[in-house]
Amino acid sequence: MFRGFKTFRLWPTLFNAYGFLFLAFLYLPLGLILLYSFNANPINMAVWTGFTLDWYATIFGGAGVKGSFDAAFTEAPERIFAVVKNSFLVAVSAATISTVIGTVTAIALARYRFVGKRFYQALLILPMLVPDIVLGIALLVFFVGAGFQLSLLTIIIGHVTFLSSYVFVVVSTRLAGMDTTLEQASADLGAGPLTTFRRVTLPQIMPGVVGGFLLAFIISLDDVVITYFIAGVGSQTLPLFILAMMRRGLRPQITALAVLIILFSFVVATVGLLLRNRKP
Amino acid sequence: MGFLQIASAHKAYHTPEGAQVRALDDVTIDVRNNEFLTLLGPSGCGKTTLLKCIAGFEDLDGGDLLLEGRSLKGVPAHRRPFNTVFQNYALFPHMTIAQNIGYGLDVAGVRKPERDRRVGEALEMVGLSGFDSRRPAQLSGGQQQRVALARSLVLKPRVLLLDEPLSALDRKMRETMQIELKNLQHSVGITFIFVTHDQEEALAMSDRIAVLSNGRLQQIGRSTEVYDTPANEFVANFVGTSNLFTGRVTERNDRLLTIETANGRRLAARSDGFAVGDGVTLVLRPEHLRIAEPGEGGAGCTIEGTVKDAVFVGSIVHVHVDVGFGRTAILHHRHERAGASAAVAPGASVRIAYSPESVHLIAAAGG
Repeated sequence: MFRGFKTFRLWPTLFNAYGFLFLAFLYLPLGLILLYSFNANPINMAVWTGFTLDWYATIFGGAGVKGSFDAAFTEAPERIFAVVKNSFLVAVSAATISTVIGTVTAIALARYRFVGKRFYQALLILPMLVPDIVLGIALLVFFVGAGFQLSLLTIIIGHVTFLSSYVFVVVSTRLAGMDTTLEQASADLGAGPLTTFRRVTLPQIMPGVVGGFLLAFIISLDDVVITYFIAGVGSQTLPLFILAMMRRGLRPQITALAVLIILFSFVVATVGLLLRNRKP
Repeated sequence: MGFLQIASAHKAYHTPEGAQVRALDDVTIDVRNNEFLTLLGPSGCGKTTLLKCIAGFEDLDGGDLLLEGRSLKGVPAHRRPFNTVFQNYALFPHMTIAQNIGYGLDVAGVRKPERDRRVGEALEMVGLSGFDSRRPAQLSGGQQQRVALARSLVLKPRVLLLDEPLSALDRKMRETMQIELKNLQHSVGITFIFVTHDQEEALAMSDRIAVLSNGRLQQIGRSTEVYDTPANEFVANFVGTSNLFTGRVTERNDRLLTIETANGRRLAARSDGFAVGDGVTLVLRPEHLRIAEPGEGGAGCTIEGTVKDAVFVGSIVHVHVDVGFGRTAILHHRHERAGASAAVAPGASVRIAYSPESVHLIAAAGG
């Protein structure tokens, strides 16, 4: 009887400990990078020598670089802004195009019957399962073979090929949960297919469309492997740039940059959640 | 020329297992202008399929639909002058009540002052004035039902199609809405085609009832016709409760027939049709049967039996009587105050009596 009482107390404690450890496992590395980004020690990040905002300042060009040693390991703000601009251009374009393609495809597959539909559906999921490195090489082979000059455009096209699949899946889920009699009701009340789409279908699947866009945007923004193969000389994106910086060692500036990226992703995710939970 | 003619409609489905199901098999109905027509049948009988084909959500495989003589073949749902009240109402959740009701008017390009006036009138008609800016989710089932009605009727359709619109409501609400719908149909003067599996609902509301089973039209007629003179055993069983006895006419005395069943039971019926030797089925409604007083009842107009159950449902008692050969007859006995109904206690031997005039005869299938 007392043993039973004891085990009854033991399990909740174990569950709590498990939950805590799991969160620590997820967030400790991120917390560490946050800490490092404020450490004044320029050589060894693991040794705390004082609080500084210098590394953030070097990104925004607010502080000059002290000494030639640091200069060799620090990128100029103009360079950083150029690649950030590239990344955003790619992410916004690729996400927008993918959202249109993915949404239209999802609607076509959900609402119309045609020969080979199942096969088509499977083909749409495939790009998500193909390893990035294979997709990257395949795209490179394709672009070179087709005579494309590698540029931001090839990155955008390359991203669209697999991001459309992600949007397709997200929007399809939303469509599957939508009451099809709403569209029948709209037609019944005299609305043609276009009006029905604009006034009934689209508002109903909007959370899925926005969610798909944000997912595509974030994936495009931090893609390294595929982008690595199809980026041209003048078309470096932020993740490729950071990778290049890493070749010269993990410098404090990178940790500051990483923190800013985490912050941005957090904002995007929050906006996404807010939009999704907004009352219809 | 009829108003809306359903001319030998055919429609087949393929189940996922590959079997072919005939949802509509040569259904012909002449829908009259301004009538309240009910399509009645068990689930899977084809009534909803027929409604969807009329609305234009599905196409017929064969046959045609004619509105005042003009074929509706190839006319898409949004160009048909019919509106539907859906089983789940299908109100647009992202729009207010006023926007829902005004949707069809907006699509038709009705100008704002007239649109707003008609939306207001429609809201008033269904008793929901002041609910304009609410969302569907904030309304009760009965209120949503009214919005769905208003949304359809505001467009003044030639025909209003109703797909089991009352099935989601509780019993009291359903009975109220039955009366309201009937009154509404009279006041707006629009043809209603109402789909239901509930025979009581059909009897209560309809001008005419079309009974469907397995994709085929079993009978069409006024409520009383369908109830009093069912065309076949299916209708007799589906619309109301029936006690059926099948046999052969053995004697005919003027209009009085004697029918002998396979078990040797001899029953009397009065009818103008049928000759000696014809196979017939007697339809005896529970309200036409009564428990005979000792010594009462002529030859052939009584059935001996033992009371199995007496189910008290309020004003009447449903008495289940074992009449032998594995058959149970159901009769409606008027409820007496406690103590007076000892005669219908389970186990009691009774004689059931009926008048030969109250029997409806159906020609036995193939006989």
